[in-house]
Amino acid sequence: MKNILKYFYLPIFLAFCLIIGSSFKISESDKIKFPYKKTGLTERQAAAHLLNRFTFGARPGDIDKVVNIGLEKWFSQQLAAGQKEDELNKRLSSYDAINLSNAEVVKLFPKNAQILRSAIKDGLINKDSVNLSDMKKYRASLATYMRDKGYRPQAELFRQLVNQKILRAVYSNNQLQEVLTEFWFNHFNVSITKNICAEYIPAYERDVIRPNVNGRFEDLLIATAKSPAMLFFLDNFSSSGTSESTQMAVNDKVRSQILAKAKMHMADTNSQRAQALKKVQQNRKNQGLNENYARELMELHTIGVDGGYTQSDVTQAARVLTGWSVYPMDNAYGNPLRNMIEKAGVDNLKKRGFVIEGDFLFAANRHDRGEKVVLGKVFPANGAYEEGIKLLKMLANHNSTAKFISRKIAVRFVNDNPSETLIEKMAETFKQKDGDISAILTRMVSSPEFWSAEALREKTKSPFELAISAVRGLNADVSQPFQLNNWISRMGQKMYFYQAPTGFPDKGQYWINTGSLLNRMNFGLALAAQRIPGVRLNLLALNKNREPESSESALHQYSELILPERDLEKTIARLIPMLNDPELLNKVERAASLNMVQQPKPTMVNEDARQMSDATEPKGNKTISGNSQRQTQNAGNLMLAQVVGVILGSPEFQRK
Amino acid sequence: MISRKAFLKAGGLTLFGIGIGGIPAFMAQAANLVQEPALFKRRKILVSIFQRGAMDGLMAVSPFNDQFLKAARPALFMPAVKSGNIPSLIDLDGRFGLHPAMHAFESVFREKNLAIVHGMGSPNNTRSHFDAQDYMESGTPFNKGTSSGWLNRAVGMLGHEATPFQAVSLTSSMPRSLYGEMPALAISNLQDFSIQMRGNPMNANRISKSFEELYDQTASGLLKTTGKDSFDAVKMLQKTDVRNYKPANDVVYPTSPLGNSLKQIAQLIKMDVGLEVAFAESGGWDTHFNQGAANGIFARNVTDLSQSIIAFWKDMEVYQDDLTVMTMTEFGRTVKQNGTGGTDHGRASCNFILGKDVNGGIVHGKVDTLAPENLEDGRDLAVTTDFRSIFSELAEHHLQIKDKQQLFPGFEGVGIGVMK
Repeated sequence: MKNILKYFYLPIFLAFCLIIGSSFKISESDKIKFPYKKTGLTERQAAAHLLNRFTFGARPGDIDKVVNIGLEKWFSQQLAAGQKEDELNKRLSSYDAINLSNAEVVKLFPKNAQILRSAIKDGLINKDSVNLSDMKKYRASLATYMRDKGYRPQAELFRQLVNQKILRAVYSNNQLQEVLTEFWFNHFNVSITKNICAEYIPAYERDVIRPNVNGRFEDLLIATAKSPAMLFFLDNFSSSGTSESTQMAVNDKVRSQILAKAKMHMADTNSQRAQALKKVQQNRKNQGLNENYARELMELHTIGVDGGYTQSDVTQAARVLTGWSVYPMDNAYGNPLRNMIEKAGVDNLKKRGFVIEGDFLFAANRHDRGEKVVLGKVFPANGAYEEGIKLLKMLANHNSTAKFISRKIAVRFVNDNPSETLIEKMAETFKQKDGDISAILTRMVSSPEFWSAEALREKTKSPFELAISAVRGLNADVSQPFQLNNWISRMGQKMYFYQAPTGFPDKGQYWINTGSLLNRMNFGLALAAQRIPGVRLNLLALNKNREPESSESALHQYSELILPERDLEKTIARLIPMLNDPELLNKVERAASLNMVQQPKPTMVNEDARQMSDATEPKGNKTISGNSQRQTQNAGNLMLAQVVGVILGSPEFQRK
Repeated sequence: MISRKAFLKAGGLTLFGIGIGGIPAFMAQAANLVQEPALFKRRKILVSIFQRGAMDGLMAVSPFNDQFLKAARPALFMPAVKSGNIPSLIDLDGRFGLHPAMHAFESVFREKNLAIVHGMGSPNNTRSHFDAQDYMESGTPFNKGTSSGWLNRAVGMLGHEATPFQAVSLTSSMPRSLYGEMPALAISNLQDFSIQMRGNPMNANRISKSFEELYDQTASGLLKTTGKDSFDAVKMLQKTDVRNYKPANDVVYPTSPLGNSLKQIAQLIKMDVGLEVAFAESGGWDTHFNQGAANGIFARNVTDLSQSIIAFWKDMEVYQDDLTVMTMTEFGRTVKQNGTGGTDHGRASCNFILGKDVNGGIVHGKVDTLAPENLEDGRDLAVTTDFRSIFSELAEHHLQIKDKQQLFPGFEGVGIGVMK
């Protein structure tokens, strides 16, 4: 009976704990007070500032929502990243490649060279007679071969990657998570420009970056260190100890057994295998250190270039990380290694210190077993895989890292030159909370510096941020995200293609030049005039279908809508001449009249069809916009599109 | 059906449609100057090429007698004596051998128009690409706070009036070397640029402090509907058939980014738009992995570098007296090959200077035997020539810039005789 009672009460007790626990949590977040009143901001101004920094731009009505929820609560909701994503998931559902594992990607989207090799192997193409004079035929037969094999071009994978990024940025309800994903991806940058790592980038963003963006910095660092994308991007996959330093690692008897087995296998199969094995042996001769990752690990990922390390620390850290590699997924590049693993058997390898965790492989036979010293800390001999983890933890929690990362976060979210006191505060939280990113962000937002005049509207939007914030601000419907990507690239930010491991610079200065300004102005006009295919909007609906009487009143009304809670006096003064130029008006009128005369009036049915099938929509949009009311008021809509376009191209809208 | 063209043409929406002829103040000012014939007096031209990623100087110009080098680089070392089918280095002076893929450089070296400085680099021993490039381009190896680039300061010290095309970088964004007070243009592609200029003369990558400042300049330019294009350089750009450019001497430029950049610099020079300082980039030098020897990544890179430069040099035949081309790279690479058939970040590298006023046919600088005790940090070729010695000497002799302290604040060194 006692026992039964115990079992009866236990769940109740647990449930009680849970309630207490969660209510305690809420009260935790309630305790936080954002000190915006101290810097003279109203609640609405503060909400606008929050939305500017922690989302990809406020949508109409967002400020009201944040004020209703409460600023602090909204922020902690965003940190928790638990908002439902029905709308986003619906929009992402047509992209079939974005949820594939690395192994599936490798199988489905082989590199061109791999396709060629495989075609040669299958006898489709004779290696010695690749006849360049008949390229057309050659390409056609290769295309057929790809179709038959079910291979798809990598360009399609990257297209889906970009599309999902844009859709997430526009539609995710967990905006902060997306903002942080972009931030940390850029911090741990990898690039499509490096062929060998490119195909692993979708999974890198999805499985390595996004799940870790608001947790502990240490976990994020370790996840990147073990990811194929990073291992390939910074060459560590191939870094190994010298033959002397690894020799101890491999039991010679075991190795000779493996080799003997493999040789036997070789004898009874084809010569390709034999070649593959030769390659393994060849590679063993070439082994040794590659410092590339170890250096960027310290310089860019953790303690920073002035964090107090020497060349020797780089070399020693590289030695610690020897053998950190990628589990061979494809049957071309990694085949020898894969053969070796299959022959030896995973269990045997694990006994010998190998670690296989998803795509990550710690190849014990390539690890430098000697003693190392990094930043004064001794890593005794035979530290194996675990010493790499120790090194990463040490770097992740280093004092210099606390400052370096705090500064980088403050540069992204506060201003280009954050004050030392703010960085000190954030670094202090970093150390107290073991690099808890959410805690660091909370500390930052709880500091008056975040709300100061030096921070407000001081950050310049990147082209990506500009495009997404414009789309969100106008409540546009995006059905062809890649069209936006073309504009973002033209404005100077080719997503996923930044070549250096630094990632895009996070300083306004980097984006500000005449060329980019004109491209931004042009983007604003194109978007507002619906000249960007696959991006639809209704400007009148934004203003509750009230049509402004003049361009000047439109400028006032739409500036308020698009740039809420800002001091608009200067912006309006700056933009008015753009509207009042008589030539400009003439041209608008002429455009309107031309439209009236020449434009075939599309029926509603056509309009709908066009809007739904916009995958096939031609590049040049033929109409101004999509409802019947507008067709009779083209002049007004041209004016409105121009006003909104000018606002989007204004300096004020480039700020966040 | 209304066409997109009509839409664009009619569009008050297309802000650019009204902008033709409106030019910002600095360009208008320069345009007036352009009309003075005196400006067309040909001036000296400096072309700087940044090899980003740190070139392995020991492979480009190899001290082939050095047994330490041979031992440190079993897979990378090449002899100067041909044996069998393996290509050998081009013996320059009995001590240094040019990589065989750089054979295009041999004749200009023998003609004494090409100088090499070996053991050049920065006094700051950082092996970070980003810091080292920053230091080299700002010209202040111990000061991160320098906001201007050394080439921009050089432009400011030329001491005469100029056109907006005085300093041009053939890159998509402004390089650090050209940051600063003096106007400079970044043009990623001349063809696009001239089309942009046709539609809108301000569409040049000029940098500024803020979007507000730029906007006000641009907007006032846009709204000035003079309808008349008074800017000669723009006119020239418009007249020139950029796409169908025919280089002199039937030269064929490599179709690489560097080849394209140099080809376009050649076009600008021939247009007489007043170019004096040009900048281009070459990438892919960070050879951590499978660097190759006679063939491979490095060989492809130096083929491109040397052939692009020589194509430019030949194309520029009638301008050669006024021209100097200089390469630079942020640091060199380890003496020892690494474990993945490449080399890691090192210290000194070498650079190339091509011109009629160059003290050519010589490998300048000081390279000690690569015995471990001679190496910096026990691993890298030591820096024996400060890059500022070379840069300032070149600026002084070629561009008549005398004030080294202003060009390279804090620099006390002297030249090494790389210029005549």
